[in-house]
Amino acid sequence: MGYAALEFYKIRHKKIFLMIVFLLCIELFWAFMSGSISLSRDPDAVSWEVIITIIAQMNGLFLPILTAVIVSRICDMEHKGNTWKMLMAASVKREQIYAAKYICACSLILFVIVLQLVAIVVFCQSKSLTSPIPWELLVQTAMGTLVTSMAVIALQQWISLAVPNQAFALCLGMLGGFIGITASLFPGMVRHFFIWSYYNELSPIVMKYINSSVVYVTQGLSFPFVGGLLLFSVLLYAVGNFYICRKEV
Amino acid sequence: MTEMISTYKLSKQYDGVYRVKDLNLKVYEGDIYGFLGPNGAGKSTALKMLLGLVKPTDGGVNMFGKEFGANRLFILKNTGSLIESPSYYGHLSGLENMRVMQRLLNVPNRNVDEALRIVRLESHKGKKVSQYSLGMKQRLGIAMALMGFPKLLILDEPTNGLDPAGIQEIRELIQSLPQRFGMTVLISSHLLSEIDQIATKVGIINNGELIFQNSMDALRAQSKRTVALRTQNISEAKSILQKYRFTPVHQDDYLIFEDMPDEQIATINQLLVTSGIGVTRIEERRKKLEDIFLELTGKVSSL
Repeated sequence: MGYAALEFYKIRHKKIFLMIVFLLCIELFWAFMSGSISLSRDPDAVSWEVIITIIAQMNGLFLPILTAVIVSRICDMEHKGNTWKMLMAASVKREQIYAAKYICACSLILFVIVLQLVAIVVFCQSKSLTSPIPWELLVQTAMGTLVTSMAVIALQQWISLAVPNQAFALCLGMLGGFIGITASLFPGMVRHFFIWSYYNELSPIVMKYINSSVVYVTQGLSFPFVGGLLLFSVLLYAVGNFYICRKEV
Repeated sequence: MTEMISTYKLSKQYDGVYRVKDLNLKVYEGDIYGFLGPNGAGKSTALKMLLGLVKPTDGGVNMFGKEFGANRLFILKNTGSLIESPSYYGHLSGLENMRVMQRLLNVPNRNVDEALRIVRLESHKGKKVSQYSLGMKQRLGIAMALMGFPKLLILDEPTNGLDPAGIQEIRELIQSLPQRFGMTVLISSHLLSEIDQIATKVGIINNGELIFQNSMDALRAQSKRTVALRTQNISEAKSILQKYRFTPVHQDDYLIFEDMPDEQIATINQLLVTSGIGVTRIEERRKKLEDIFLELTGKVSSL
């Protein structure tokens, strides 16, 4: 944990928190505007499930980009100042530095997820939704988002450390955002191959069209998908870690 | 004497070409070892292999009497380094950069203050490093290398970017390290004059191969004296002297003799004057270290 704290120390003055809040505000503004419009059209049709689903869909677009930016900021400083060789020549295991960066990025994304949950609760309470706060659904949503983010972070960290030009990693993030928002349009077999599609895929609520009307069905967290994605995260992390830690400086 | 660094047949190949070949480096405790070579000779690659930043193709490294691979953390804990350009976080201040290194090395606050004081950066420690001059960044790099007050300090061209006064300061600092802190220093440079002034031992690398390794005195001993003689008729003078079993070499209007006693020079002068050949100059010449270095490396252009 000491090295993870060091990563937080290193990103001071980089205004990462400001950037996170800014991007999150855009996402939430968009999501809550959409929720407010639905609410004004038909107040009875809007529920916690609708807001959670909108947020999960928006996450597909915003979180890959936000993740790419966060990871890039954490990794880019090592390229810019030639510090990777300084770290490698210190009496530290390379794997520890790699893990510290991963923990730092995951913590920041967890912070984003917590902020989202708080915003959802505040928004729904302010709109006087009658049903009580669905804590279970909110926790499942957070878990699904976090597990998906863990895989995306593992991929982004590998790319950001392997390729000094961060435009490459940021382009990958934008591509992920595009896939994340459009994934539900792909056939199931196809979208399951893209990690960014799981922001929506792991949402505990599924949106279905029945008799030309939209119905929100609570299905809970799909544990086989969660397990599979966690395994894939471990694989991505292990490959990235292996590649970066053995790379000559 | 304790061996601090010992490499055996250390080699590194890139795309089938040897950058470092069969390097057998020996650095002993208390040495200031000057690692000298023209640009592109393989100095940095060799130093990177010592620190585990580059994996050798062949051979191995022993430091502090231990094999590097199995004792990497122990060795690096006792080694400070500055390789190629200085490493720094530009968005952090000098002091914050030092704090990063402090946390990695787990050393007390007083080491940070002392290292900043040694490189005279105390007054600039609050400034962002991106606003530092190249010389200040270099000093910061040296401070970071010194912070743990390691037993071994590896500095790759540490005076790059420094002004003459800064070079002098760093030179004096490096010279004082073995006595003040009991450090052994391995310093690389492509400047012979720099190594000549501070090193006690020298290794010369060229095209990846170590072509000389010994004390500075041994290198200086290679600079043998010669005597150059100029006369009004060189070829006539040469044939006369050859009759008396002298073997001068005709070079650029001079007759060159290996170092000889004053009496012999007087004899030669007398022989030529009595033969009617005017002697216009008699010069003692000594090969400069640069000449020896150039002879060894066969390079002129890179210096």
